[in-house]
Amino acid sequence: MSGRLKLAALFSIFFLAGSGIACAQQQVIGAPPEALNMKLVGTNDLQARSGYQPTIHHQGDRWIAYIGHHGGSDDIPAPVNPQTGKAEPNGTSIVDVTDPSQPKYLRHLPGQEGKYESGGAQMVRICDGKALPKGDRNAVYMLRTFGGEAHEIWNVADPANPVLITRIAGLKDTHKNWWECDTGIAFLVSGAPDWRTRRMTQIYDLSDPAHPQKIRDFGLPGQEPGSTGAVPTELHGPISTGPSGNRVYFGYGTNKGGFLQIVDREKLLNGPKEPTPDNLRLPEISRMPMSAMNGAHTTFPMPGMPIAEFARDKDGKNRDIVMIVDEAILNECNEPRQMVWFADVTVENRPMMISSYTVPEASGSFCERGGRFGSHSSNESMAPVFYKKMAFIAFFNAGVRALDIRDPYHPTEVGYFIPAITAATDKRCVKIGEQDRCKVAIQTNNVETDERGYVYIVDRANTGLHILELTGPARAVAGLR
Amino acid sequence: MPRWPLIASAAVVLGALSGAAAYQHVAPRQDERNGEWQEIAWPFPRDGWPAGKAFRCGAAACGSEVEVYVRPKIGFCNCDRGVADDDEVDRVADLDLMSERFAPLAPGDVIRIADMPGRVRAYDLNMSDALRHSAVGVAVSRRCDLLVAVAHGRGEASEVRRAALTFLARSEMTRWAMAAMEGR
Repeated sequence: MSGRLKLAALFSIFFLAGSGIACAQQQVIGAPPEALNMKLVGTNDLQARSGYQPTIHHQGDRWIAYIGHHGGSDDIPAPVNPQTGKAEPNGTSIVDVTDPSQPKYLRHLPGQEGKYESGGAQMVRICDGKALPKGDRNAVYMLRTFGGEAHEIWNVADPANPVLITRIAGLKDTHKNWWECDTGIAFLVSGAPDWRTRRMTQIYDLSDPAHPQKIRDFGLPGQEPGSTGAVPTELHGPISTGPSGNRVYFGYGTNKGGFLQIVDREKLLNGPKEPTPDNLRLPEISRMPMSAMNGAHTTFPMPGMPIAEFARDKDGKNRDIVMIVDEAILNECNEPRQMVWFADVTVENRPMMISSYTVPEASGSFCERGGRFGSHSSNESMAPVFYKKMAFIAFFNAGVRALDIRDPYHPTEVGYFIPAITAATDKRCVKIGEQDRCKVAIQTNNVETDERGYVYIVDRANTGLHILELTGPARAVAGLR
Repeated sequence: MPRWPLIASAAVVLGALSGAAAYQHVAPRQDERNGEWQEIAWPFPRDGWPAGKAFRCGAAACGSEVEVYVRPKIGFCNCDRGVADDDEVDRVADLDLMSERFAPLAPGDVIRIADMPGRVRAYDLNMSDALRHSAVGVAVSRRCDLLVAVAHGRGEASEVRRAALTFLARSEMTRWAMAAMEGR
């Protein structure tokens, strides 16, 4: 073989091998899921609806999963509900997961008409009537968003037959609410029509869900009605530690200009309520800005974590930690990496980022797989089984990632699960010149856990619900047998 | 003598020339084609979005000196509604790059730039030099992406607006905007 031929052969082998590697990373129907120390227990296709928030509730002797959905897609704006035979705008799926290996789809409750972020009923929270101060003891209440226009409360005591209790309507947007079941105080992410931002907080007393009592509107100075000048980044969602912790952690920004805001809950609820700049500043303890390239989707508080490395230190053995999760928005890595950050907020007016976590891109060539790669959200259950020990992060095309966070200064991945795609999995496209170039990949959007230790993940690209459990060393981290 | 080194070199040179030609085709020129408008360096520090392009028009041609800063913002949550109201222009149009303190002069208007719908609004801008400037914020959208521009000058807001919108409507700017929105 001549020198030229050898060279040509070498180039050919190089290019063929390169394209083979790229193809090997592309998900195909029928291929098994990818997993480490996590295994599949059961699935449900959720009628091929795009999944947002799952909330798992222990309801009598049953376990019920309530799953919020985004609006429909361009191809299928309103999927057919096989139970009714009708096309229904995406809303809320209600699934009996008492036996997680055999989830039973109970009911689809339609949401607002609209596609993607514009319709559906993305958010859902559940409180028992007997836990709420003025609730009907026999009721179980579901607080859900109705697209961008309303919040709704339903009685789901019979989860197959929900009954509408009340609506808070007239909004220009909604998003990721928080509801304290022991007090009934709800922090509703809303777009009040006269505010200058799409998403701020409306605080309601929902202790008697049939009679919502507005407490106040809250946001950042510059967002309130009548203000001028720069408009601060919009809210994504709050998490409250209730009366005992007396803090609300607000995450602003989604994938850009994010920050954590630490707020005194008592001052927020009982301080002056007129939305003036001074009154909006009053309950704020501090803010921790992030890079302008990252946002704060979820701000999950873990106060009083004992840090093993600091155990013999005279001061600072325990630290108040907030896990901040950014949201990736653009497909195929067309933005700065969105990931997970841990902040030490022990000294509240000097919060400090102490560590971070991301999935190594090269571990799965995730930028080439299609769809979004990066974090979106974490589990939000504070049940003892995982709280302050493990965190689960929805990472779009990298599935769900299980982190050992017992030392939040050094979080470590101990497991993952990337579901297999199905015929229902929707494509994700990027523009190449004038043309759309589309790929099909899993898009794990949200994750939640239950008190039994099951992990529930839902897919934004319509692949449905996957119920998982930990195995091997990951199970040991949580102290599960 | 083997021919392949010659062929490889020619391919590299042709590739470079074709790349340069493509860039010339897409990027708005700084020279006489823009007439009185000169491209200047992007004057702002890095923020959440990649830098865009900045241009200056002298007082002789534009009545008073006017600067325009324009860039795409790829990934915008209002995919369906687009730039629906003036609040959206206040939020996204990059006025805060120059000053946190600005006040609208009037309700905005609907416009189209590079065949993208959106809004334009005029502002009083309170700059760090304690002087008041007129500014115009522009935001147009296509699907989930935005093109934003802000123009400012010492003249009347109507003059700044006329100069900026005329400039943004030029064919070379339209071509650049369309290419930038496609990530090229």
